[in-house]
Amino acid sequence: MTTALFTHSDCLGHETPEGHSERADRLRAIWKTLEDPAFEALDRREAPLAERSELRRVHPEAHVAAIEAAIPAEGHVSLDADTHVMSGSLTAALRGVGAVVSAVDAVMAGEVSNAFCAIRPPGHHAEKATPMGFCLFGNVSIAAKRALDHHGLERVAIIDFDVHHGNGTQDLLWDEARVLFCSTHQMPLYPGTGEPRETGAHGNIINAPLPPMADGAAFRKIMEERILPALDDFKPELVLISAGFDAHRDDPLAQLNFDVEDFVWVTEKLCDIADRHAGGRVVSTLEGGYDLEALAASTAAHVKVLMERGA
Amino acid sequence: MNDTPVEEMSFEQAMAELEQVVQKLENGQVALEESIQLYERGDALRKRCEAKLQAAEEKVAAITTDAAGNPTGTKAFDAQ
Ligand SMILES: [Zn+2]
Repeated sequence: MTTALFTHSDCLGHETPEGHSERADRLRAIWKTLEDPAFEALDRREAPLAERSELRRVHPEAHVAAIEAAIPAEGHVSLDADTHVMSGSLTAALRGVGAVVSAVDAVMAGEVSNAFCAIRPPGHHAEKATPMGFCLFGNVSIAAKRALDHHGLERVAIIDFDVHHGNGTQDLLWDEARVLFCSTHQMPLYPGTGEPRETGAHGNIINAPLPPMADGAAFRKIMEERILPALDDFKPELVLISAGFDAHRDDPLAQLNFDVEDFVWVTEKLCDIADRHAGGRVVSTLEGGYDLEALAASTAAHVKVLMERGA
Repeated sequence: MNDTPVEEMSFEQAMAELEQVVQKLENGQVALEESIQLYERGDALRKRCEAKLQAAEEKVAAITTDAAGNPTGTKAFDAQ
């Protein structure tokens, strides 16, 4: 068995305005690094367009309709100060959702051991009816619901190590007792949520904020003290990762000081959890990461661990 | 935002803006792309407040008193 890579060139078609951090070059940088012969064994798959019914697992139809209606024939329209849509945005976002849904299906069917979805726009800031923070649809939350409601799983864990709090995932899964959502993030920072006291309707959310300038050692400590033991207690049948690499020390949008080795470490730890409880099933999806070099190196290292563990 | 350069702000000015910055960061009313600039502004303001406080502390420490505890002046180094 192997590791699947889900992606699609349509994800480049979400062409954000000049100078915007969440840009198509992010995906190009990742593709380029994954062209290396070291990644030859990846099972490369085209992300399909998601069915609208997949979006309705977490968003009201009105949210989808509002985004669709906002998309201009040319130029771009701003949904908020960060989040812009243009002609290719809906197709890109539907490929992103299609990627995570297909990745869950492939892993659940046992076609591959684990999977990485190289997609954009990201998803973890999108709330039920509010696109924000570069995000339109809650990709990882949709993947969790797919695993629960379509595949009949009873426990799915989501670990979000993006430097920003996954307020969208928290909003979409606040009262979903079958999901344990764990997030590490810099605080204070956008979007302002993610205090430890925000625990979900069923104690199903763990927020573990880190202060500005915290390094990989602080990250590992909080993972080992708070998140990994909770994951072992929860015994997830599938591990989902919101893999944002903007906690890297070179990232321009935040001030945590992680190194590539820290992303390797956490990926290994999460694969350990998956091995113990979930038959090794891991689906990881790209969130942030805005320094192209750091993003490419971190993503490559993350995927490498998935490949080693999924081989 | 105040037009006065941070290095020239009074303690009160810096503190007042710092409070605004912290409030904005905490209630999430800031764009993702601006969040980091705002944090950096807050950090500069915090440093300014700390510098002003430290200068004040040094002045207090330099005050000399007579036997009855009445201030009689400051030490020579502060007379510049
Ligand atoms: Zn982020």
